[in-house]
Amino acid sequence: MLSTAFSQEKAKDTVKYKDRYGFRVGIDIFQPVYSLFDEDTKGLEFVGDYRITKRFFIAAELGFSEATTKEDYFEFYTNGQYIKAGADFNAYKNWIGMENMIVVGLRYAFSTFDQTLNEYTINADPFLPNQTITTPVTYDTLNAQWIELVLGLKAEILHNVFMGFSFRWNTMISSKEPENFKNLYIPGFNKVYLNNNGFGFNYTISYLIPFYRKKF
Amino acid sequence: MKKHIIYTSIISLFLLLFLSCEKDDICVEESTPLLIIRFFDSTDPDTYKKVTNLKVQIEGIDGDYINETITVLTDSIAIPIKVTEDITRFKLILNGNDDDDTNDNEDIFDLNYIREEVFVSRSCGYKTLYYDVKTNLISDSDNWIKSIETAKDPQDILNQNSDHVKIFH
Repeated sequence: MLSTAFSQEKAKDTVKYKDRYGFRVGIDIFQPVYSLFDEDTKGLEFVGDYRITKRFFIAAELGFSEATTKEDYFEFYTNGQYIKAGADFNAYKNWIGMENMIVVGLRYAFSTFDQTLNEYTINADPFLPNQTITTPVTYDTLNAQWIELVLGLKAEILHNVFMGFSFRWNTMISSKEPENFKNLYIPGFNKVYLNNNGFGFNYTISYLIPFYRKKF
Repeated sequence: MKKHIIYTSIISLFLLLFLSCEKDDICVEESTPLLIIRFFDSTDPDTYKKVTNLKVQIEGIDGDYINETITVLTDSIAIPIKVTEDITRFKLILNGNDDDDTNDNEDIFDLNYIREEVFVSRSCGYKTLYYDVKTNLISDSDNWIKSIETAKDPQDILNQNSDHVKIFH
Protein backbone atom coordinates (compact mmCIF):
# COMPACT_ATOMS: atom_id res chain seq x y z
CA MET A 1 0.00 0.00 0.00
CA LEU A 2 2.70 2.37 1.03
CA SER A 3 4.94 1.36 -1.80
CA THR A 4 2.21 1.94 -4.44
CA ALA A 5 1.51 5.40 -3.13
CA PHE A 6 5.17 6.17 -3.28
CA SER A 7 5.53 4.90 -6.82
CA GLN A 8 2.48 6.87 -7.94
CA GLU A 9 3.94 10.02 -6.51
CA LYS A 10 7.16 9.31 -8.29
CA ALA A 11 5.36 8.71 -11.58
CA LYS A 12 3.42 11.98 -11.24
CA ASP A 13 6.66 13.81 -10.67
CA THR A 14 8.08 12.72 -13.99
CA VAL A 15 5.12 14.07 -16.00
CA LYS A 16 6.32 17.57 -16.62
CA TYR A 17 4.63 20.07 -18.82
CA LYS A 18 7.03 22.36 -20.57
CA ASP A 19 6.13 25.93 -21.46
CA ARG A 20 6.73 27.13 -24.97
CA TYR A 21 9.25 29.88 -25.47
CA GLY A 22 9.45 31.79 -28.69
CA PHE A 23 8.75 34.81 -30.74
CA ARG A 24 5.19 36.02 -31.06
CA VAL A 25 4.38 38.37 -33.91
CA GLY A 26 1.09 40.04 -34.71
CA ILE A 27 -0.89 42.93 -36.05
CA ASP A 28 -3.37 45.41 -34.62
CA ILE A 29 -6.80 45.06 -36.20
CA PHE A 30 -8.49 47.84 -34.22
CA GLN A 31 -7.13 50.78 -36.25
CA PRO A 32 -7.94 49.34 -39.72
CA VAL A 33 -11.51 48.57 -38.59
CA TYR A 34 -11.82 51.99 -36.93
CA SER A 35 -10.68 53.63 -40.19
CA LEU A 36 -13.68 52.15 -41.98
CA PHE A 37 -15.93 54.34 -39.83
CA ASP A 38 -13.63 57.33 -39.37
CA GLU A 39 -11.81 58.32 -42.53
CA ASP A 40 -9.77 60.96 -40.67
CA THR A 41 -7.41 58.41 -39.13
CA LYS A 42 -5.39 55.69 -40.77
CA GLY A 43 -2.68 53.47 -39.38
CA LEU A 44 -1.03 50.13 -39.11
CA GLU A 45 0.73 48.59 -36.14
CA PHE A 46 2.83 45.44 -35.84
CA VAL A 47 3.38 43.90 -32.44
CA GLY A 48 5.91 41.37 -31.23
CA ASP A 49 7.13 39.82 -28.03
CA TYR A 50 9.78 37.36 -26.97
CA ARG A 51 9.51 35.30 -23.81
CA ILE A 52 12.55 35.44 -21.59
CA THR A 53 11.35 33.91 -18.32
CA LYS A 54 8.18 32.23 -17.13
CA ARG A 55 6.48 35.55 -16.56
CA PHE A 56 8.49 38.18 -18.40
CA PHE A 57 8.43 39.03 -22.10
CA ILE A 58 10.39 41.58 -24.11
CA ALA A 59 7.76 43.42 -26.13
CA ALA A 60 7.66 45.99 -28.91
CA GLU A 61 5.30 47.73 -31.28
CA LEU A 62 6.10 49.33 -34.59
CA GLY A 63 3.61 51.41 -36.51
CA PHE A 64 2.71 54.35 -38.62
CA SER A 65 -0.34 56.55 -38.63
CA GLU A 66 -1.88 59.59 -40.23
CA ALA A 67 -4.72 61.63 -38.81
CA THR A 68 -6.66 64.77 -39.57
CA THR A 69 -7.87 66.56 -36.46
CA LYS A 70 -10.63 69.17 -36.62
CA GLU A 71 -10.89 71.64 -33.78
CA ASP A 72 -13.16 74.66 -33.32
CA TYR A 73 -10.65 77.16 -34.69
CA PHE A 74 -8.26 75.07 -36.80
CA GLU A 75 -7.65 71.82 -38.62
CA PHE A 76 -4.38 69.92 -38.90
CA TYR A 77 -2.95 66.74 -40.36
CA THR A 78 -0.37 64.54 -38.67
CA ASN A 79 1.73 61.92 -40.44
CA GLY A 80 4.46 59.78 -38.91
CA GLN A 81 5.80 56.56 -37.47
CA TYR A 82 6.66 55.20 -34.06
CA ILE A 83 8.45 52.46 -32.19
CA LYS A 84 7.67 51.25 -28.68
CA ALA A 85 9.89 48.87 -26.75
CA GLY A 86 9.72 47.47 -23.24
CA ALA A 87 8.55 44.51 -21.23
CA ASP A 88 5.35 42.67 -20.39
CA PHE A 89 4.69 40.87 -17.15
CA ASN A 90 2.13 38.07 -17.11
CA ALA A 91 0.06 38.57 -13.97
CA TYR A 92 -2.13 35.57 -14.69
CA LYS A 93 -1.40 32.21 -13.07
CA ASN A 94 -2.21 29.71 -15.78
CA TRP A 95 -3.44 26.21 -15.33
CA ILE A 96 -0.96 23.69 -16.63
CA GLY A 97 -0.87 23.73 -20.39
CA MET A 98 -2.43 27.18 -20.80
CA GLU A 99 -0.55 30.26 -21.85
CA ASN A 100 -3.04 33.08 -21.41
CA MET A 101 -1.93 36.45 -20.14
CA ILE A 102 -3.05 39.35 -18.07
CA VAL A 103 -0.51 41.83 -19.33
CA VAL A 104 1.01 44.53 -17.18
CA GLY A 105 3.68 46.27 -19.18
CA LEU A 106 5.85 49.28 -19.65
CA ARG A 107 7.16 50.83 -22.86
CA TYR A 108 9.52 53.52 -23.96
CA ALA A 109 8.17 55.04 -27.17
CA PHE A 110 9.62 57.30 -29.82
CA SER A 111 7.92 58.89 -32.79
CA THR A 112 8.99 61.04 -35.71
CA PHE A 113 6.33 62.94 -37.62
CA ASP A 114 5.18 65.99 -39.58
CA GLN A 115 2.32 68.33 -38.70
CA THR A 116 0.45 70.29 -41.36
CA LEU A 117 -1.76 73.11 -40.24
CA ASN A 118 -4.41 73.01 -42.98
CA GLU A 119 -6.31 76.12 -41.92
CA TYR A 120 -7.11 78.28 -38.94
CA THR A 121 -9.46 81.07 -37.94
CA ILE A 122 -8.43 83.78 -35.51
CA ASN A 123 -10.34 83.55 -32.25
CA ALA A 124 -11.61 87.12 -31.94
CA ASP A 125 -14.78 89.08 -31.22
CA PRO A 126 -17.48 87.95 -33.70
CA PHE A 127 -18.60 91.58 -34.27
CA LEU A 128 -15.74 92.07 -36.73
CA PRO A 129 -14.97 90.01 -39.87
CA ASN A 130 -13.10 86.77 -39.27
CA GLN A 131 -9.59 86.11 -40.45
CA THR A 132 -9.30 82.59 -41.89
CA ILE A 133 -5.97 81.41 -43.24
CA THR A 134 -6.31 78.49 -45.65
CA THR A 135 -2.72 78.24 -46.85
CA PRO A 136 -1.34 75.02 -45.34
CA VAL A 137 1.82 75.27 -43.24
CA THR A 138 3.93 72.13 -42.74
CA TYR A 139 6.16 71.62 -39.74
CA ASP A 140 8.43 68.67 -40.48
CA THR A 141 11.04 66.56 -38.66
CA LEU A 142 9.25 66.77 -35.33
CA ASN A 143 9.64 64.08 -32.70
CA ALA A 144 8.44 62.97 -29.29
CA GLN A 145 9.30 60.39 -26.69
CA TRP A 146 7.09 59.05 -23.95
CA ILE A 147 6.42 56.21 -21.49
CA GLU A 148 3.43 53.89 -21.77
CA LEU A 149 1.79 51.85 -19.05
CA VAL A 150 0.14 48.81 -20.60
CA LEU A 151 -2.77 46.78 -19.24
CA GLY A 152 -4.28 44.03 -21.31
CA LEU A 153 -5.38 40.49 -21.92
CA LYS A 154 -4.08 37.86 -24.29
CA ALA A 155 -5.61 34.43 -24.91
CA GLU A 156 -4.70 31.51 -27.12
CA ILE A 157 -7.73 30.98 -29.33
CA LEU A 158 -6.24 28.42 -31.69
CA HIS A 159 -3.00 26.48 -31.49
CA ASN A 160 -0.25 29.13 -31.51
CA VAL A 161 -2.74 31.91 -32.40
CA PHE A 162 -3.37 34.58 -29.79
CA MET A 163 -5.95 37.30 -29.60
CA GLY A 164 -5.66 40.18 -27.19
CA PHE A 165 -6.28 43.77 -26.40
CA SER A 166 -4.48 46.40 -24.39
CA PHE A 167 -5.11 49.82 -22.94
CA ARG A 168 -2.26 52.25 -22.75
CA TRP A 169 -1.77 55.30 -20.62
CA ASN A 170 0.90 57.54 -22.10
CA THR A 171 2.88 60.24 -20.40
CA MET A 172 5.22 62.49 -22.35
CA ILE A 173 8.91 62.76 -21.58
CA SER A 174 9.78 65.37 -24.18
CA SER A 175 8.76 66.56 -27.62
CA LYS A 176 10.08 68.82 -30.33
CA GLU A 177 7.27 71.33 -30.77
CA PRO A 178 6.51 73.28 -33.95
CA GLU A 179 6.97 77.03 -33.84
CA ASN A 180 3.75 78.90 -33.06
CA PHE A 181 1.78 75.64 -32.96
CA LYS A 182 1.66 72.57 -30.71
CA ASN A 183 1.88 68.80 -31.12
CA LEU A 184 -1.75 68.03 -30.35
CA TYR A 185 -1.67 64.62 -31.99
CA ILE A 186 1.34 62.32 -32.14
CA PRO A 187 1.48 58.98 -34.01
CA GLY A 188 1.36 56.18 -31.44
CA PHE A 189 0.56 58.58 -28.61
CA ASN A 190 -2.73 59.74 -30.14
CA LYS A 191 -4.43 62.88 -28.84
CA VAL A 192 -2.19 64.90 -26.53
CA TYR A 193 -4.23 66.15 -23.60
CA LEU A 194 -3.53 69.37 -21.70
CA ASN A 195 -1.45 67.64 -19.01
CA ASN A 196 0.66 65.93 -21.75
CA ASN A 197 -1.01 62.58 -21.18
CA GLY A 198 -2.60 60.33 -23.76
CA PHE A 199 -4.45 57.09 -24.17
CA GLY A 200 -4.11 54.19 -26.54
CA PHE A 201 -5.83 50.96 -27.38
CA ASN A 202 -5.03 48.03 -29.61
CA TYR A 203 -6.66 44.72 -30.46
CA THR A 204 -4.16 42.25 -31.78
CA ILE A 205 -4.03 38.90 -33.49
CA SER A 206 -0.64 37.25 -33.16
CA TYR A 207 1.11 34.03 -33.97
CA LEU A 208 3.59 32.26 -31.74
CA ILE A 209 6.67 30.78 -33.38
CA PRO A 210 7.93 28.39 -30.68
CA PHE A 211 11.71 28.13 -30.46
CA TYR A 212 12.07 25.70 -27.57
CA ARG A 213 10.24 24.29 -24.57
CA LYS A 214 11.36 24.76 -21.05
CA LYS A 215 10.25 23.31 -17.76
CA PHE A 216 8.85 25.94 -15.45
CA MET B 1 -10.83 34.30 -7.28
CA LYS B 2 -9.67 37.26 -5.24
CA LYS B 3 -7.05 37.95 -7.83
CA HIS B 4 -9.64 37.98 -10.59
CA ILE B 5 -11.53 40.66 -8.73
CA ILE B 6 -8.37 42.71 -8.40
CA TYR B 7 -7.51 42.36 -12.08
CA THR B 8 -11.04 43.10 -13.18
CA SER B 9 -11.12 46.22 -11.06
CA ILE B 10 -7.73 47.38 -12.40
CA ILE B 11 -8.93 47.01 -15.97
CA SER B 12 -12.29 48.65 -15.21
CA LEU B 13 -10.49 51.56 -13.59
CA PHE B 14 -8.34 51.90 -16.67
CA LEU B 15 -11.42 51.80 -18.90
CA LEU B 16 -13.11 54.43 -16.78
CA LEU B 17 -10.03 56.65 -16.95
CA PHE B 18 -9.94 56.11 -20.71
CA LEU B 19 -13.56 57.10 -21.24
CA SER B 20 -13.92 59.84 -18.66
CA CYS B 21 -11.16 61.99 -20.07
CA GLU B 22 -13.11 64.80 -21.63
CA LYS B 23 -12.15 66.85 -24.62
CA ASP B 24 -10.47 70.04 -23.42
CA ASP B 25 -12.82 72.01 -25.60
CA ILE B 26 -13.68 74.99 -23.43
CA CYS B 27 -11.52 77.97 -24.19
CA VAL B 28 -10.44 79.43 -20.85
CA GLU B 29 -7.27 81.22 -21.92
CA GLU B 30 -7.32 84.77 -23.20
CA SER B 31 -8.10 85.02 -26.90
CA THR B 32 -7.64 88.16 -29.05
CA PRO B 33 -7.56 91.13 -26.65
CA LEU B 34 -10.07 93.97 -26.85
CA LEU B 35 -8.99 97.61 -26.90
CA ILE B 36 -9.39 99.13 -23.44
CA ILE B 37 -10.11 102.86 -23.47
CA ARG B 38 -10.29 104.99 -20.31
CA PHE B 39 -11.92 108.41 -20.30
CA PHE B 40 -10.24 111.28 -18.46
CA ASP B 41 -11.15 114.87 -17.70
CA SER B 42 -9.38 117.16 -20.18
CA THR B 43 -9.12 119.91 -17.57
CA ASP B 44 -7.80 117.57 -14.89
CA PRO B 45 -5.88 114.80 -16.76
CA ASP B 46 -5.48 112.54 -13.70
CA THR B 47 -9.19 112.19 -13.03
CA TYR B 48 -11.56 109.77 -14.69
CA LYS B 49 -14.55 111.40 -16.34
CA LYS B 50 -17.60 109.46 -17.36
CA VAL B 51 -19.17 109.60 -20.81
CA THR B 52 -22.96 109.73 -21.13
CA ASN B 53 -24.92 107.42 -23.46
CA LEU B 54 -21.93 106.49 -25.58
CA LYS B 55 -22.51 104.67 -28.84
CA VAL B 56 -19.64 102.76 -30.48
CA GLN B 57 -19.41 101.99 -34.18
CA ILE B 58 -16.61 100.61 -36.35
CA GLU B 59 -16.27 101.90 -39.88
CA GLY B 60 -17.25 99.36 -42.51
CA ILE B 61 -19.30 97.32 -40.03
CA ASP B 62 -23.07 97.54 -39.76
CA GLY B 63 -24.66 98.20 -36.40
CA ASP B 64 -23.52 99.40 -33.01
CA TYR B 65 -21.01 97.52 -30.91
CA ILE B 66 -22.62 96.62 -27.62
CA ASN B 67 -21.15 94.95 -24.56
CA GLU B 68 -21.36 95.20 -20.77
CA THR B 69 -18.72 97.96 -20.63
CA ILE B 70 -20.77 100.33 -22.80
CA THR B 71 -23.40 101.62 -20.37
CA VAL B 72 -25.34 104.84 -19.74
CA LEU B 73 -22.43 106.23 -17.79
CA THR B 74 -19.00 104.80 -18.38
CA ASP B 75 -15.38 105.81 -17.89
CA SER B 76 -13.90 102.65 -19.40
CA ILE B 77 -14.82 100.59 -22.45
CA ALA B 78 -13.54 97.42 -24.10
CA ILE B 79 -14.05 97.19 -27.89
CA PRO B 80 -12.75 94.88 -30.61
CA ILE B 81 -9.95 95.74 -33.07
CA LYS B 82 -9.89 94.42 -36.64
CA VAL B 83 -7.87 91.24 -37.18
CA THR B 84 -8.09 91.54 -40.97
CA GLU B 85 -6.47 94.97 -41.40
CA ASP B 86 -3.69 97.02 -39.82
CA ILE B 87 -6.07 99.89 -39.17
CA THR B 88 -9.43 100.20 -37.41
CA ARG B 89 -11.53 103.37 -37.61
CA PHE B 90 -13.74 103.87 -34.56
CA LYS B 91 -16.73 106.19 -34.21
CA LEU B 92 -17.53 107.24 -30.67
CA ILE B 93 -20.88 109.02 -30.51
CA LEU B 94 -21.52 111.06 -27.38
CA ASN B 95 -25.19 110.95 -26.33
CA GLY B 96 -25.74 108.56 -29.23
CA ASN B 97 -27.58 106.02 -27.12
CA ASP B 98 -30.41 108.28 -25.93
CA ASP B 99 -33.66 109.04 -27.78
CA ASP B 100 -32.63 112.60 -28.63
CA ASP B 101 -30.78 112.69 -31.98
CA THR B 102 -30.07 116.44 -31.84
CA ASN B 103 -27.47 116.19 -29.06
CA ASP B 104 -25.42 113.45 -30.80
CA ASN B 105 -21.76 114.26 -31.34
CA GLU B 106 -19.76 111.85 -33.50
CA ASP B 107 -15.97 111.77 -33.19
CA ILE B 108 -13.75 109.52 -35.25
CA PHE B 109 -10.30 108.16 -34.51
CA ASP B 110 -7.99 105.66 -36.21
CA LEU B 111 -5.99 102.95 -34.53
CA ASN B 112 -2.90 101.77 -36.44
CA TYR B 113 -0.91 98.70 -35.44
CA ILE B 114 1.15 95.71 -36.54
CA ARG B 115 -0.60 92.35 -36.19
CA GLU B 116 0.83 89.04 -35.02
CA GLU B 117 -1.03 85.73 -34.87
CA VAL B 118 -0.09 83.59 -31.89
CA PHE B 119 -1.10 80.02 -31.07
CA VAL B 120 -2.89 79.70 -27.72
CA SER B 121 -4.27 76.18 -27.27
CA ARG B 122 -6.37 73.40 -28.77
CA SER B 123 -9.63 74.94 -27.60
CA CYS B 124 -8.75 78.61 -28.16
CA GLY B 125 -6.82 78.29 -31.43
CA TYR B 126 -4.97 81.41 -32.57
CA LYS B 127 -5.27 84.96 -31.26
CA THR B 128 -4.09 88.25 -32.74
CA LEU B 129 -1.77 90.55 -30.81
CA TYR B 130 -1.26 94.19 -31.79
CA TYR B 131 2.12 95.89 -31.66
CA ASP B 132 3.29 99.49 -31.96
CA VAL B 133 -0.20 100.91 -31.60
CA LYS B 134 -0.78 104.53 -32.71
CA THR B 135 -3.89 106.70 -32.37
CA ASN B 136 -5.04 109.51 -34.63
CA LEU B 137 -8.05 111.70 -33.87
CA ILE B 138 -9.87 113.08 -36.93
CA SER B 139 -10.66 116.70 -36.19
CA ASP B 140 -14.07 118.14 -37.03
CA SER B 141 -15.87 121.38 -36.27
CA ASP B 142 -17.07 120.17 -32.89
CA ASN B 143 -14.85 117.53 -31.27
CA TRP B 144 -16.08 116.35 -27.86
CA ILE B 145 -12.79 114.43 -27.61
CA LYS B 146 -10.10 117.01 -26.83
CA SER B 147 -7.18 114.65 -27.20
CA ILE B 148 -6.33 110.99 -27.46
CA GLU B 149 -3.14 109.13 -26.66
CA THR B 150 -1.84 105.64 -25.96
CA ALA B 151 -1.28 104.77 -22.30
CA LYS B 152 2.33 103.87 -23.02
CA ASP B 153 4.78 104.72 -25.74
CA PRO B 154 5.35 102.39 -27.49
CA GLN B 155 2.05 100.71 -26.83
CA ASP B 156 1.37 97.00 -27.48
CA ILE B 157 -2.00 95.32 -26.97
CA LEU B 158 -1.20 91.86 -25.62
CA ASN B 159 -3.86 91.43 -22.94
CA GLN B 160 -6.72 93.22 -21.20
CA ASN B 161 -5.03 93.76 -17.86
CA SER B 162 -4.74 97.53 -18.19
CA ASP B 163 -5.89 100.39 -20.41
CA HIS B 164 -4.29 100.92 -23.81
CA VAL B 165 -5.74 104.26 -24.90
CA LYS B 166 -6.61 107.40 -22.95
CA ILE B 167 -9.29 109.78 -24.16
CA PHE B 168 -9.49 113.28 -22.66
CA HIS B 169 -12.82 115.10 -22.89
